[in-house]
Amino acid sequence: MPIEPNSAMLTRLVQGHLYQFRSMASPCEVHIETNDQDIALRLGRLAEAEATRVEYKYSRYRDDSLLSAINASNGQSLPVDEETAALLDYASNCYALSDGRFDVTSGILRKVWRFDGSDRLPSKASVRELLPFVGWNKITWRSPIIQIPPGMEIDFGGIGKEYAVDRAIEIIEAASDVPVLVNFGGDLRASKLRADGTRWRVDIESVDRSGPSGAHLEIGAGALTTSGDARRYLLKDGVRYSHILDPRTGWPVKDPPRSVTVAATTCLEAGVLSTVAMLHGRGAERFLRREGIKAWWVR
Amino acid sequence: MQLMRSGRNRQISSALGLLTANLLSAVAAHAQERPVDQIAQTVTTTQDDYDPGSDLATGRTRIDSSVLFYQEAGGRVKATEPVTSFTLNGSDGETLNLKLTSDTLTGATPNGAAPWSQDQVFTTPAHAPGTTATVTGASGGSRIVTIPGTGTVARQYTAPANTLPVDSGFRDQRYAVDIGYSSPLGAASRYSLGGSYSDERDYRSFSVNAGLSRDFNHRNTTVSAALDYEYDQSAPIFGTPTPFTEMNADVKGGDRSKSVIGLVAGVTQVMNRYWLTQLNYSVGRSTGYQTDPYKIISVVDGVSGAPIRYLYEGRPDNRLRQSVFWGNKVALGPTFADFSARAYHDDWGITSYTVSLSDRIPFGQRFYLEPGVRYYNQGAADFFHNYLIDGQPLPSFASSDSRLGKFSAITAGLKLGFRITRYSEIYFQYEDYRQSGTTHPAGAPGGLADQNLFGGVNATSAIIGLSFAFR
Repeated sequence: MPIEPNSAMLTRLVQGHLYQFRSMASPCEVHIETNDQDIALRLGRLAEAEATRVEYKYSRYRDDSLLSAINASNGQSLPVDEETAALLDYASNCYALSDGRFDVTSGILRKVWRFDGSDRLPSKASVRELLPFVGWNKITWRSPIIQIPPGMEIDFGGIGKEYAVDRAIEIIEAASDVPVLVNFGGDLRASKLRADGTRWRVDIESVDRSGPSGAHLEIGAGALTTSGDARRYLLKDGVRYSHILDPRTGWPVKDPPRSVTVAATTCLEAGVLSTVAMLHGRGAERFLRREGIKAWWVR
Repeated sequence: MQLMRSGRNRQISSALGLLTANLLSAVAAHAQERPVDQIAQTVTTTQDDYDPGSDLATGRTRIDSSVLFYQEAGGRVKATEPVTSFTLNGSDGETLNLKLTSDTLTGATPNGAAPWSQDQVFTTPAHAPGTTATVTGASGGSRIVTIPGTGTVARQYTAPANTLPVDSGFRDQRYAVDIGYSSPLGAASRYSLGGSYSDERDYRSFSVNAGLSRDFNHRNTTVSAALDYEYDQSAPIFGTPTPFTEMNADVKGGDRSKSVIGLVAGVTQVMNRYWLTQLNYSVGRSTGYQTDPYKIISVVDGVSGAPIRYLYEGRPDNRLRQSVFWGNKVALGPTFADFSARAYHDDWGITSYTVSLSDRIPFGQRFYLEPGVRYYNQGAADFFHNYLIDGQPLPSFASSDSRLGKFSAITAGLKLGFRITRYSEIYFQYEDYRQSGTTHPAGAPGGLADQNLFGGVNATSAIIGLSFAFR
């Protein structure tokens, strides 16, 4: 069990290897279906390198990230590179497709909403004061030039980790035929069936942590993401306030499922669909059914 | 916990699938630019070499440059065509495209006469209208003669026995410029405007076009329509001959023109994340001079088949063309397939069908290979004749141009592309084109029955191209 200098770790399993590291504020792991330690290490490092690259470029927590530079533009027009432009186009399309529910400018609402399980709700006034700074439609985006009004911010929280998973899978697939499952903080994607032809078994975390795993799913090639409010909510006067904030109102959506797990070809698709489903609140199941999305949810 | 799978109204999920595929393929170049080993080695040093400033470069202007070499079998037409196109992308989603083309054509083209078992001599003018200087030297096997008793200077060339008569006296240089502009119109629409001009020694063409497209259904459906108008001026080197007059050395009439109005309307539909389909209908009406002023047709003896005289050909002044096109782009695993079919009919009586298939196969990160095949089949125009029979009444129109006859053609091609850097690609394409048609039509009189009357052509072409983008 060699220890990596940056605390990444490779473990020999009964079948294949497990490469673990931390990135994007989450535990990340790559299951590599080979008994060859060198190959496992090489593929694990590829995934980590991509996760690190995406994090350093798009983390909102890092002052030196490209995203922070964009957010610090203070109303100036700024040209962005092709990858960022493609992501912004994607975010813009998601905003349109979800009728404004999926919004990369909504992160600023965290300034007043802190989901720590307590009963401290923000005041209506404080939410109202933030709303002028939320809304993708207020951003001037003419690829490759972006202009963000002062006080607004962009946050790839809803797609960044998923994007990193998809990129990692593509890079590994280009480098090797070994089947892998990439799991960055619960957003996961398998490249193909396992080496012995069986499917990957994925445990879905129990929502209330009261007992064993909630359920398990099996996937061949494809992605699974889960959106939920298992640990992040506010409870006041018996009303549970989910951490799923509707960017159009600044308030939590009403009565969303506790969690929605979506299966799709790519992690990006699954992630956006599970997020948008939660944003439909009480209508989440109707949305999933209408769209014919392969999904599992917990009320 | 519940499970469900079925559903009908897949608006977001299907659009998202396509968007995601686009995003991942668009950025595929970024991290894969570095060799795999190098990435592995930088795992622990990535934090140091990140430079936010260096990632702000964008590539916005694209230049595509290519040269086509085209060669017909049997020493017929040979062409070299360099093309350069510039595409500028503006900050508001507008694009401006400018394309410059020049081609040089040399070699021999069939003059329309039927082959015969003895040498045939053809006499054409040697002067342009209004001048006395000979415009063509004794090139391509032709010679300048003075017709005895008249003082008329003529150009003569001989077609050897048992070969398709061709005229080798031409060399043509053409220059063309195309310009196109398109821009968004509101959130879901786009308009385009364009024009072109081309110029060669005996032909000039102008055209303008305008189009509009609109997205529906979460951008899964695009409806588009475009109108175009073209005006062409034909100024044959020796003037415009009167149809069905006998081929001779006299300088002919003045310039002629034609105009074309066309409409294309179509629907493009995203069927699912792997399949894009398009259906187009186009209709065009051409009015004016559409005869080939250099083409003749043999009038032969009804018994022996021997040529008696050669008449200038004649075609109708109106032509209405219609076609339906069905195109598909399909992602098949890691490859991209393109399948299309086209049906065409015009009121000259030509009906044709085209089926085309190609597949782009990536090899590693930098190479791709694209084999393709196309099949084409057309029926003859109502006025197509290999020859006319002496003594029979002349038809209203007649042409022996093999392009108006019945034939089929197969094109097989292979393209190899190589990505040099993130923004540049070089490619080579090779195509082989083979026509087949009726070589010995039924009812050919006398010795003509032994002649190969099919004027079709086999050709090969090669393209080398370079495409790159910069800011």
